[in-house]
Amino acid sequence: MFGKYKPLLGEKTQLKSSYDVVIIGGGLHSLATAYFLAKEHGITDVAIIEKNYIGFGGAGRNTAIVRANQRTQYNVPLYKEALDLWPVLTKDLDYNLMFNNCGNLNLMHSEAAMKAARMTIATAQFHGVESHLLDAKEAKELVPALNISEDITFPIHGAMFHPPGGIVRHDAVVWGLAKGASKYGVEIHQQTEATAVNTKNGKIVSVETSRGTINTSKVLISAGGYSASLIYGMLGIKLPISVLTIQAMVTQPLKPLLNHVVSSGAYHCYANQTLKGEIATGAHMDQWPNYTTQTTAHYIKHQAEALSEFLPCLRGLRFMRIWSGLADMTPDMAPILDGNDQIEGFFMNCGWGYFGFKSCTVAGKYMAEFMAKGEAPDMIKPFNLRRYEQHKLMGETAELVTYTPNN
Amino acid sequence: MSLTITCPICGKRDGYEFRFGGEDKGPRPDEDGLTPQSWCEYVHLNECVAGRQKEWWVHKDGCGSWFTIHRDSVMNVEVATPEAHK
Repeated sequence: MFGKYKPLLGEKTQLKSSYDVVIIGGGLHSLATAYFLAKEHGITDVAIIEKNYIGFGGAGRNTAIVRANQRTQYNVPLYKEALDLWPVLTKDLDYNLMFNNCGNLNLMHSEAAMKAARMTIATAQFHGVESHLLDAKEAKELVPALNISEDITFPIHGAMFHPPGGIVRHDAVVWGLAKGASKYGVEIHQQTEATAVNTKNGKIVSVETSRGTINTSKVLISAGGYSASLIYGMLGIKLPISVLTIQAMVTQPLKPLLNHVVSSGAYHCYANQTLKGEIATGAHMDQWPNYTTQTTAHYIKHQAEALSEFLPCLRGLRFMRIWSGLADMTPDMAPILDGNDQIEGFFMNCGWGYFGFKSCTVAGKYMAEFMAKGEAPDMIKPFNLRRYEQHKLMGETAELVTYTPNN
Repeated sequence: MSLTITCPICGKRDGYEFRFGGEDKGPRPDEDGLTPQSWCEYVHLNECVAGRQKEWWVHKDGCGSWFTIHRDSVMNVEVATPEAHK
């Protein structure tokens, strides 16, 4: 067993002096882009340059929730396709991604929130995404642990139930995509830092790394929360992004009691029970930009208060771990997928905020098509950077507007 | 997250008493000759520096004053202004 260990990502290879495509960042969006570049477009001469190790950032820090109940016409179809991809990828990658299709229950705590939910549900149904409005009693039938009494800070008026969503094992997606991409010959270079991107006459020519220079004509920066800093630092392109830390935590394991992901905008809290039995819960952001991944007692306390109100059976439970990651927030809560605009051969995929996990596979699929053909696919055209100067912001903000430093 | 900020009126206080007011982008652009690009740059675009930057804060749960400080976004600590070293 020990002598025959085969490395998941293939043998360690030397960095070559040139590649067709260089991808900076070794997270899910990069791995997915590389996988689809190789599988769908036959572009296999690809290097992924990762400063730490694959899945170091948001890929391994998110709370693994997937859903397609966003608000706007451009976002919903994208996330729907992402949801539909999980079972397909589980087969194609031959890797158990542990998709637990348990559905999401979003609690509403006022009539205004119920009205907003009705609009979101209408949008979902228009795009063929299953989503229903429930009253408080129906919500309690789904999740008997819910407290629907009137004597809590934010009494539950009803809920939006979205059965197609659920939880996916995020590490499995990292490993599965890395294995899948490596199988086609994509090289994943960990412990390798990209230090500069060089251009000549408005075109990409090379990437400087801590292990030498790579000549290439196509570069994708999709480094999660670090993208905006890298893109400005290396290429001088400013982005409408603020990088905030977001915290999450898990409790000790329990017998099964939550059959759905439960979330509440008013309490700023979501909770789901992992397959191990722990209650994974979050999420709070400090509202000023920073690149730390510090955690705080302040938010453990807030989380305990929120959970013990709407899920009172969790009172007295112990938190086991707390961690945080970076979220690159845009003013309209929608990502920036762009390329071949300011600089020929330069592509970017960033600004996902805390939606980066649920979208990783579909973003990779369309960025791969974009990079292979040089033309943005219709699905992601609206997510270009120029929408901000054209005042075409997407309005994907819902009740979470306090989660950016702009408010 | 532990952060203290020095208000010019109230002194060094808990960071949660303040609200972040954005990166310092200099004065608001002149209305004459304003283009969608320059307005977008002023309103939306950030440098997102991993390191020291000059930024605005307001003491919302205190005296209410607006002011700039320098902060290291990697260490998440307030740092002295560059002038202080001269």
